[in-house]
Amino acid sequence: MLDNLLFLAPPITASIILAGILSYFGNHILSRGIIFIDIAVAQIAALGTMIGLLIGFAEESFIVQALSYVFTLSIISLFALTKFRKQLIPQEAIIGIIYCLGLGLAILLAEKIPGGSNFITKTITGNILWVTWDKVWSILLLFLAIGVIHIIFGKHFIRISSSPNDYPYSPGRTRLYELLFYISFGVVIVKAVPVGGIFLVFILLIAPTAAATLFTGNWKTRFILSWIIGILGSVVGIYLSYNLNISNGPAIVCLLGITVFLLTFLKMAMKNKNANTSQNIL
Amino acid sequence: MLTALEFMLAPLIACLLLISITVYFGIHVLKREIIFIDIALAQIAALGSAVTLILHELDIGSHDHVYEHDSKSLMAYIFCILAAGLFTMLKNKNIRITLEAIIGIAYAVAATGVVIILDKGAGGDVHVHDMLTGSILWVSWSQILRLAIVVLTIGGLHYIFRSKFKDLTNHYANNQSQLNHPKIWDFLFYFTFGIVVVEAVSIGGILTVFAFLIIPASISVLFTTRWSFRILIGLIIGTIATILGLYFSWTMDLSSSPLIILFMGILLGLALILKVLKNLKSSTKNKNLL
Repeated sequence: MLDNLLFLAPPITASIILAGILSYFGNHILSRGIIFIDIAVAQIAALGTMIGLLIGFAEESFIVQALSYVFTLSIISLFALTKFRKQLIPQEAIIGIIYCLGLGLAILLAEKIPGGSNFITKTITGNILWVTWDKVWSILLLFLAIGVIHIIFGKHFIRISSSPNDYPYSPGRTRLYELLFYISFGVVIVKAVPVGGIFLVFILLIAPTAAATLFTGNWKTRFILSWIIGILGSVVGIYLSYNLNISNGPAIVCLLGITVFLLTFLKMAMKNKNANTSQNIL
Repeated sequence: MLTALEFMLAPLIACLLLISITVYFGIHVLKREIIFIDIALAQIAALGSAVTLILHELDIGSHDHVYEHDSKSLMAYIFCILAAGLFTMLKNKNIRITLEAIIGIAYAVAATGVVIILDKGAGGDVHVHDMLTGSILWVSWSQILRLAIVVLTIGGLHYIFRSKFKDLTNHYANNQSQLNHPKIWDFLFYFTFGIVVVEAVSIGGILTVFAFLIIPASISVLFTTRWSFRILIGLIIGTIATILGLYFSWTMDLSSSPLIILFMGILLGLALILKVLKNLKSSTKNKNLL
């Protein structure tokens, strides 16, 4: 038992850290309706890595990683500036276009790099079971720094997230906050995806906040509820995966996803019941 | 030159067939803001196929003289119907989550579900990689015939009942559809869309179909709100991108699907520039009037 615990300690810690930061960001992502942004960001990061490789640098070299960051952050900054009062193309559609152009380019580049097809999804898959304590510390420190930014500017971000079709501040100031928000988000995704894998990151973003939003619209309660659900889901998921002998990322994803569906049906059943009783009263 | 034409004729016709239906559905998808629905539906269909694989291995169900492909698509279709029901039901004001979020979660669960299932089975990961870009260059005439039948049937259905489907989508955000049974029509919409996605993805791959859905609709919305014009613009854009993509794929020896997607991206860029210029022009005109 103790051996198991020692073996599982780094992945559990890592998943709690991931759940902590991603569930927080998820509330913003859900309110803005830009659900698939992390998949697009991860794809662009992968593309940046491939371009670095194509120029001829080694995969783990500083330059390739820097290129990947520069690439991701410039694309996401562009995206931050696409919010308009009169939105002809929905932002989610812009995300879709970025994703498929990024993936299309990656597939073309892969033909020019020896063994390149391995890199198309290289940064997209991860396995949280093999995370080391070094890695855990480094993501913890990074996410704490980003957390501080969000503690300082959090209420501005919330105001922008709650008004999807408007600038709550002057256009210039709104755009500045948007840039700060998206750049910090981009850094988190680029760092988190190689640790947990794209689907784990995706589900930790969307599922806890979706479950919380079913029951409350209040930001503070949503944050707290989604933290509880995200952390609980990760820990139980890793435990289950260990006992049932299935991969842990997929286990957490399915557990959290199915939980959301069950809660949604529960909520709808509750509403119908309420509607029935109120009809009976009339 | 003649060989190029011979070789490219089947892919070209397949692409044009795909475009003719996806351009129309793309307008629906963009208006409803359910952008990633085709990726989710394709993944759910793949989960269906994976389930068949497992049933096969466990010796459940009759497997005498069942062609693998047919049984696979049967289960894929059953999963598609289930998904259509799910998406119809969960478009609900009471639950406060947008349908796109539900779609996202369904996608993630289906994708990882496939991984869990195939972990237990054997040799399935090749199948997943193939699904991404498809292999449109190797499309056969019998596949094209099948696609044509699907496109004509479903296109015809949507043409006959176009007023219902349009009404549904135009009022999607505020739930004020005037139809008698909006849920039934909604289910029909997702179900027909699901069939198109499964058939289209098996030929063009997820990514190509996704681009065909989103990019032409995004370009046309810049210039007009009328459905007929939007479909026309989409058809033109799609055709140009396909011809250019296939041509350069032949001459430069590159994959065709990514090239077609990139050309559509370039056309989108041009359209955005045109739109900005148009706006500038009209704003200076307004200033002159004042």
